[in-house]
Amino acid sequence: MEIGITEQGGLSVVAISGEVDLSTSPKVRDALLGCISSNKGVIVDLSGVAYIDSSGVASLVEAFQTAKSKALGFALAQVSDTPMRVLKLARLDQVFVIHDTLDDAIAAMV
Amino acid sequence: MNDQLELLVEMGRHFAATRDIEVTMGRALERIAELVEAEGGALFVLEGDEPQERLVCHASYGPVDIKGLTVPADKGIVGRSVATDNSEMVRDAQNDPNFDTSMDAQSGFTTRSVLCAPLSVKGERIGAIEVVNKTGGDGLFADDDLTLLEALAASAALAISNARMAGELAEKEVMRRELELAAEIQRGLLPPPGGAGGEEDFPVCGVNRPARVVSGDFYDYFTLYDGRIAFTLADVSGKGMNAALLMAKTASLFRCLGKEDMRPGRLLQRINAEVCETALRGMFVTMVAGIYDPVSGRLVLANAGHEPPLLHSTDGRFKTLEATAPPVGIPPELTGGGPVPEVVLHLNGGALYIFTDGATEGYVASDEELGADGFMDMVRDGVSDGLSAQARIDAVANRLSRSGEALRDDITVLVIDDAKSLQNRLNRVDNTLKDETVRGPNMDQGANIPVDGSLCALTVPARASSLKLVRRAVGETSSACGFSQEQCQDLVLAVDEACQNVVRHAYAGTDEGDMVIDIRRESGAYVVLIRDHAPPVDVAKIVPRNLDDVRPGGLGVHFIREVMDEVEHLSPPDGQGNLLRMKKAI
Repeated sequence: MEIGITEQGGLSVVAISGEVDLSTSPKVRDALLGCISSNKGVIVDLSGVAYIDSSGVASLVEAFQTAKSKALGFALAQVSDTPMRVLKLARLDQVFVIHDTLDDAIAAMV
Repeated sequence: MNDQLELLVEMGRHFAATRDIEVTMGRALERIAELVEAEGGALFVLEGDEPQERLVCHASYGPVDIKGLTVPADKGIVGRSVATDNSEMVRDAQNDPNFDTSMDAQSGFTTRSVLCAPLSVKGERIGAIEVVNKTGGDGLFADDDLTLLEALAASAALAISNARMAGELAEKEVMRRELELAAEIQRGLLPPPGGAGGEEDFPVCGVNRPARVVSGDFYDYFTLYDGRIAFTLADVSGKGMNAALLMAKTASLFRCLGKEDMRPGRLLQRINAEVCETALRGMFVTMVAGIYDPVSGRLVLANAGHEPPLLHSTDGRFKTLEATAPPVGIPPELTGGGPVPEVVLHLNGGALYIFTDGATEGYVASDEELGADGFMDMVRDGVSDGLSAQARIDAVANRLSRSGEALRDDITVLVIDDAKSLQNRLNRVDNTLKDETVRGPNMDQGANIPVDGSLCALTVPARASSLKLVRRAVGETSSACGFSQEQCQDLVLAVDEACQNVVRHAYAGTDEGDMVIDIRRESGAYVVLIRDHAPPVDVAKIVPRNLDDVRPGGLGVHFIREVMDEVEHLSPPDGQGNLLRMKKAI
């Protein structure tokens, strides 16, 4: 699992790739909460995620709630089939703000 | 002269037959009294140390029995005779102004004539023999009688001295045999090679060489119901019988308590509490306890004040593992109590050496200590020479056991060698992949789908890092069963979540224990059995969360129930741990 963080238009773009499971999700959580603590909106790019489990989803939920409490933007972008299936199973596809492309997400949040 | 020799021989024989020096002295006094024709006599033995020295009558002959009579060592004829190592004669007591007749007044016996000769051998004072009243003639002793008594007394003294020495030797022999028996019992406390089953490739073995007959060191190991091996090595301060007894107590506690709850840190805490309840006279025990799982190579270790064990990795490097708590025997109130902190290791084909300081501080042929470096060199050489673990540690003990010399200290070494177990693990993974996933499991030739039976069985440590392997096994087998790609992904997720629950909840994140995942095809269904050895989980508390309540966590159970057709918590066949059965129709 790899995490890449870039800045685009005053937002943090966190690109996650590989398998997010019990052993790797703490890193995802730390990365996301780290970005939020610097008071920037966060876009999570899930295009490279081959697998995500409940602990990975929990990290996304926690980050989403933390951002909301600070009135910061939080969106998912380019969600590939596998994580989308898991979000649907958890009925979270209607809770998260999800954009098809990064550009859409940035345009919506800036 | 003949009488003298005869007396010596007779006393020697008599003592050899009776083994009772008191009876022998009584016999001797009787013979002497007869030979000097005395009416009565007494044999006094010097007892106690100065200034409490006294003379006690051990044998009495004649009309008045004074056995047990005690007189001051410096008083009277007997006292003088012993003090000066010279014989005394009071030829005519009744007419001797120096003779104290008060005793006669008490006993009603009339003392007419007295002879007294010291009993001594080469300056060692034993006591004196006194005889009274010659039976023949005028009833008075003469110089000849005194000379005869002196000669006989010399023989008697020699016989008594010999008997005493023989008695001491016999006592020592009894002690030596008792000690041998104790040593035999102690050797019986050590575990049999190969464990209870005497397995040839058993991964744990030890060596113990006592410096004296008994030892203050010990090691032990035994296999638990789930295949893990509990082990310990300990060193009791001191080397004598007291150390051996404390060793026996500690060893018994390890066996008893270890079978109840084999968590090394807690076990050492409990042993400490038990040991501290008895008075220890400042003795203590440095002790290592641990548990090793041959299935995963995982080892949990707790060290109470013991010499740091050495981990020898397959890359040839050594790592020392320092003690994490004070020794057993230090009262918990002094140290704050609590379980001894544990260290978790993964041997990965390496070996863990636990030893007492006798193994590193022992002398080699060049009169130098072997030292930790020397020990490591021998281990390294042993491995590169292809020696078995037992042969490697025997070589260390042999090198320190110099012929004809007592050891400086007990030598004890225990080794947990993961090499064979690693090979078994690799073979198992190979077979699993070869038989079950790559070629496909038990294919029905016509339909090209698996027939009923086990598709894949895995035993993995209950850790987050094991989940990847589990997912792969589920992915391959579900795909082989003909599920769609999305269904396969769902099954992977569901089984992953179920295993996560074992790791996070059943074992409560302790990183301890294994789980067994058995994937089966049963009458048109894909069935996954997950088995653990953790304390039983309260099934009533496992509920999926309300999805309207958006919060992190609690989604796993929901995923499992969403994906699977059936989810059941079963009782494991042997009543240990938990068993989850999940089913999805193919």
